[in-house]
Amino acid sequence: MDQPRLTRTVTVANRTGLHVRAALAIYNLARQFQTQVEIVMDRQRASAGDMLHMLSLGANPGQELVLEAIGPQAEQALDALAELFAAGFHEDDPQTGRR
Amino acid sequence: MKKLQGIAVSAGVAIGEAMVMDTEGFRIPRRFVARDTVEYELERLGHAIEAACEEIARNRDAVSNELGEKYGAIFEAHLQILRGSQLREELEELICERHYSPEYAVSRVMRRYAEVFQKRNVADIVDIEKLLLRQLLGRRREELSRLTSPVLVLAHNLTPSETANLDRRFVRGFVTEVGGPGSHTAIVAAALEIPAVVGIGPFLTDVSGGDYVIIDGDKGLVILHPDEETIARYHHEAEEIRSMAVRLEVLRDLPAETADGVRVEMLGNIEFPYEVDHCVDRGADGVGLYRTEFLYLGTEREPGEEDHFQAYSRVVRTMAPKPVTIRTFDLGADKVPALPPAEDEHNPALGQRSIRLSLRHVPMFRRQLRAILRASALGNVRIMFPLVSTILELRQAKMILADVMEDLEEHHVAYNRNVLVGMMVEVPAAVMMIDHFVEEVDFLSIGTNDLIQYTLAVDRSNKDVVWLYNASDPAVLALIDKTIRAAQRKSLPVNLCGQMSGSPVYTMLLLGMGLRQLSVPPSAIPEIKKICRSVTLADCEAVARHVLGLESARDVFSYLKGELKKRVPEFGT
Repeated sequence: MDQPRLTRTVTVANRTGLHVRAALAIYNLARQFQTQVEIVMDRQRASAGDMLHMLSLGANPGQELVLEAIGPQAEQALDALAELFAAGFHEDDPQTGRR
Repeated sequence: MKKLQGIAVSAGVAIGEAMVMDTEGFRIPRRFVARDTVEYELERLGHAIEAACEEIARNRDAVSNELGEKYGAIFEAHLQILRGSQLREELEELICERHYSPEYAVSRVMRRYAEVFQKRNVADIVDIEKLLLRQLLGRRREELSRLTSPVLVLAHNLTPSETANLDRRFVRGFVTEVGGPGSHTAIVAAALEIPAVVGIGPFLTDVSGGDYVIIDGDKGLVILHPDEETIARYHHEAEEIRSMAVRLEVLRDLPAETADGVRVEMLGNIEFPYEVDHCVDRGADGVGLYRTEFLYLGTEREPGEEDHFQAYSRVVRTMAPKPVTIRTFDLGADKVPALPPAEDEHNPALGQRSIRLSLRHVPMFRRQLRAILRASALGNVRIMFPLVSTILELRQAKMILADVMEDLEEHHVAYNRNVLVGMMVEVPAAVMMIDHFVEEVDFLSIGTNDLIQYTLAVDRSNKDVVWLYNASDPAVLALIDKTIRAAQRKSLPVNLCGQMSGSPVYTMLLLGMGLRQLSVPPSAIPEIKKICRSVTLADCEAVARHVLGLESARDVFSYLKGELKKRVPEFGT
């Protein structure tokens, strides 16, 4: 079966960086798709399926990250994640940070 | 290697393995496990992670139900962190490859994450660490009583009940992040005669249980991960201290007597009943200051008469026929849970504490006095009131004492009718009125710790002004001199307790000023005795005359150091 490997560049757009709640939002979103997502920051690489991994990046606000997805739903996963990043993980939304 | 500076509160050097207790009292006991138990340890880790996950899930559900899903999200995050394969793999690798204990592995890994994480995530990681450790360790807060090998205790702070329960056989030293010279840790360490450094500031994240640590209780230094050379140097130093102690041991049964035959009474300061044994071991002439505060600390209820009596009788019986001076309650209301909380204590040093509190809570005071009087039938007891500021306070205290005596008489309870009653001289106002006080007491005891604080208006736990706090200050010496001369005119015994009396630098001066009693921590008795036996009274009097003419603490101290070096070279460091 075809396993597309796609990348997308995103920016940490919230005010506080890639902290626990943001990482949880990524984790929860990524696992809804049949795909493996990794986050690359400079020479570090973290799985979106491991909270501790993502937190270890210590990504600050404004940091550029590359999302890499492998799997049947890679395209959809990247679209959804890019939207999450662009929305600043919905932290400033009046309701809640979760979709 | 990392050197940390704190406040030295109990002398000596200790080298050994750290036992780390965090703010919640968790302990990281063992560092390594045996090769053949690795399987078992992995299983323990697995169970701990499972149990921790269950606990987090319960918290998440409870919070989500109560406050909404949004609030439960943080627990969901913790759960996912804990379930992540990275953490599990790292922990298992440390246990398998390096034979770390699961506890040690958890604390190492979590501490490392705490360092690389952004500040805002540290609290989460610490939370998870605690949760895991609680699962691994099973029970909490009892660890100090369950030691099996020598350790140096490193903690944020130690509560009175923790120090009360610790196993004295195995604790070799204390370091705390907070605390000052009067803190509970300081008092307990001095009583146990083990080195202690307090007020280091936050450092516990830099150290794990089982790490090699050096405590230098003389300089107030703590050295983490010391290098070979430093360890060797400190081993050498510890050896020197030991051999000095052995040399001084021969003095045990010799009197504290100057070279020209003037006898000095060497008394011990104690806090806990077992310290009376330290006094006996050092050949003390009695207990000059028995602080009774420990009875009130670390318990929820006020001690009863029987609690007092048990403690006092142990000390009095052991020391008899030598004297034991028991000081009545000397704390603030904040230390006695049974008392109503103070309302206006913005400035505790000047507030309702000590004798002021006793006079305010007469039933509590009477319970203590009854116990002291009952103990007076068992040996040689003296009663001492602390922090007396005015003659009316003294009279009021004595009246209550007389009343308690009458009560005992009526009930035919044995006590010594002629028990000596004295007071601490530690408030400058009392010194100014000392000629009146000497008419109404049987003895005086100068408490230099408070006297210095009140004379120079300085809080010694405030690092910005602590430089002012100095026993060498001429104003302090003038007050001591006035007190001694007033006592001499009435031929009253006068003693000096407080840290000044245990410091070799001041021994010649104090003898020269006319003191014939010194009350010091039991561990200091051999040193001070050695100095007494090495000098003549004539020399001491010359030193005192010179010092009382000096005008600054600095001049006094450097002169005294020079004189000590000249007369007793062994102490001239």
